Amino acid sequence: MIRARTFIDAKQQSHSNAELNWWIFMRISGLILVFLVLGHIYMTFIQVSESDATFTAVVGKLANPAWKFYDWLILALALMHGTNGARYSIEDYIRTRPNRAWVKGVFYTVVALVFAFGTIGLFSI
Amino acid sequence: MYKGREGQWAFLLHRLSGIAILAYLLIHVFSIGSFIFGERFYMAIHETYDWPIFRIGLVFITAGVVYHAFNGLRIIVMDFTGAGVAYQRQMWYAVMALTVISGLYAAWTLLPRLLGGY
Repeated sequence: MIRARTFIDAKQQSHSNAELNWWIFMRISGLILVFLVLGHIYMTFIQVSESDATFTAVVGKLANPAWKFYDWLILALALMHGTNGARYSIEDYIRTRPNRAWVKGVFYTVVALVFAFGTIGLFSI
Repeated sequence: MYKGREGQWAFLLHRLSGIAILAYLLIHVFSIGSFIFGERFYMAIHETYDWPIFRIGLVFITAGVVYHAFNGLRIIVMDFTGAGVAYQRQMWYAVMALTVISGLYAAWTLLPRLLGGY
């Protein structure tokens, strides 16, 4: 493929607006996560001891639909935001195409499993 | 790394804190979500986290999240306003100050719990 030198060339070579959409997603999800995650850390680490997160306390808290929604929102947004951010690093630092392919394959699989695990956990109680 | 100034350090720290937070998040979802395997499994992990090294790690995660959050806001301001680009260096020092202050505050909160065994 000829390297695109102008905006018009680049536009003709790309098949979608995926990168632009991810760029926008990173800003919007980041803005929301600032409040969700700092609030989460404040409420579960600063205000109360991390030792208080016992089985009984966690199950009791997550049984509340409001916390279920709050935590699931963090889970979904943070995993997408973090996975896309890590993708930027993978694409920057892993230099060959096959290496990028398998690193991404393993990485996306792990994230998908953790997301499924967290979602099943949240909505099973 | 090239010999960049504050902006380069801001970028590097943003990546490193982002990757650290993602690694923490993946482990955190597993260890909290492990309640679905029952109380004994969950509490075994939970009690391991009472070791000082894990509890001190939380202070660094807190500082990392504060850095990533406020530097992210700095990036958004830089993206959408000209003044943001003009003052990016000053904003980065403000971000660093917030990071250090909240890290110290988290450590200050943790210390009595750590010493008191709670």
